[in-house]
Amino acid sequence: MSDEVTLFHWEPNANSGKPMLALAEKGVPFESRYVDMLNFDQHKPDYLAINPQGTIPAMLHGGRVLTESTAIMEYVDAAFDGPALMPPDPKDRWRVRWWMKFMDQWLAPSFSMIGWSIFVGPAVRRRDPQELEAAIERIPLPERRTAWRKAIYNQFSEAELAESQRRVAIGIGLLEEALSKRAWLACDRYTLADVNGFNLAYALPLSQPHLSNEEKTPHILEWLRRIYERPATRQTWALGRTEMVKRVKILEREPQ
Amino acid sequence: MMGTSLFHGEPNGPSLTVLAACYEVGAEAEMIAIDLAAGERHAVPPRRREVEMSIEGEGPVLVVEGEPMADSVFLAQYLDEAHGGSLQPAEPYARWEMEMWCRFVIERVAPAASLLGARAHLTPKLQAMDDVAFEQLVAAIGSADLAERWRTIREGAFPEAQIEDSRGKIRLAVERLENRIDGDWILGDFTIADLETYAWLAGMVALVPEAFENAPRTRAWLDRMAGRESIRRAVAQSRTGDPLSAWAPGPEINRWG
Ligand SMILES: N[C@@H](CCC(=O)N[C@@H](CS)C(=O)NCC(=O)O)C(=O)O
Repeated sequence: MSDEVTLFHWEPNANSGKPMLALAEKGVPFESRYVDMLNFDQHKPDYLAINPQGTIPAMLHGGRVLTESTAIMEYVDAAFDGPALMPPDPKDRWRVRWWMKFMDQWLAPSFSMIGWSIFVGPAVRRRDPQELEAAIERIPLPERRTAWRKAIYNQFSEAELAESQRRVAIGIGLLEEALSKRAWLACDRYTLADVNGFNLAYALPLSQPHLSNEEKTPHILEWLRRIYERPATRQTWALGRTEMVKRVKILEREPQ
Repeated sequence: MMGTSLFHGEPNGPSLTVLAACYEVGAEAEMIAIDLAAGERHAVPPRRREVEMSIEGEGPVLVVEGEPMADSVFLAQYLDEAHGGSLQPAEPYARWEMEMWCRFVIERVAPAASLLGARAHLTPKLQAMDDVAFEQLVAAIGSADLAERWRTIREGAFPEAQIEDSRGKIRLAVERLENRIDGDWILGDFTIADLETYAWLAGMVALVPEAFENAPRTRAWLDRMAGRESIRRAVAQSRTGDPLSAWAPGPEINRWG
């Protein structure tokens, strides 16, 4: 049994970024194993031996494999010393869980669908068609196979993209409303809900400029900037390898 | 506004989880029965975004000191933590296992079970309603996608592939249970995973009987659950006498992997 932590992750973003940032906030050192999602590394035998579902992230600790980004974060918070990322009050804890579920199951999938249609699909589409077909065939989860197929062949229907955009607009409204009532998303302290939310929303002012900007969502912007200023966030975003991480720079405050 | 009230539907699905969790931990709550299948969640309990937008769809609402809260597993966790209960393992890895199990139930089993349950029991009820009354019900719903699920159920034209997929999810759940049950309960000790799983599967025995045919451990577990004091007390809250036939629109079927 090893007490070392190994994290298999892609860019600090979405599901990969959640455990990366939670580990950094707790001050837990980990061996970083970069899995290049756009190179389909997550469907290769080496990685499937760790997580047969072929999705990222996955974490090794004490000889065990943990999956599911939000569940990994809760594990990290409970298993290690360092600042608590779950609040002590039971009602505040309920709010942390409610927000994470709302984001994981309702809002993030809509963001993802849009992101995959405009970024992931075009990023891999130009590769050799036969190679791409073979890559799709290797995907273990049927749902993920469908998602990749749609992204690669640009098959998202207008209706499903419109539904995703509708949800993103509503989600932004809910975030702004919650953050205008409290300093942090779920209660008056920084919690896993903020870690989760930052990974979902850090590029919002770039990807949804008409819905998220200084006038319409001042509280979201202020919240994102405050999270971006945390040393753990800097440290985590420094682990990115692609242009993608640079998007976080929009959160730099103007010099006074 | 002080104190705790639980606005619950018939003891089936999410209402069963939360009613039983209250009894498990000895929470003092005022129990207020509402008819989820008549849309009363949008009329009777105090309104709040977190209730309106709950990914669970039509579930119970727990009001604590004026704050309405939703989502059955999180309500059970709240009740457990607020009352010093023992429905969750303390050891982090065991806790992760419980959360992973509950996540499987919430994301895969509950959408399937509620589709099958609603198709069998709610579609006929909604079709019997006149258009004006139905439109009134739906107009009160704050979430457009939940309102859409009500309409789909009223139409009742579920694609065959979706029905089969849902039945497959129930078979998968029982298969997993059969391999997982450890002694008396799913994860060894009795946890919220037992409550949530029972709450969604109890009504499936009649609707997907083949799933339970070669599953002796699951059937014995279902019997143990049915005999548990907290479940018996929850079931005793039924006003219809047939809670396993009570279904309201639940969580949506995953639209993105
Ligand atoms: N619910 C899982 C989802 C994991 C997931 O789907 N991750 C994406 C990356 S954000 C992935 O692995 N995609 C690769 C693929 O589908 O091939 C979690 O939160 O960890």
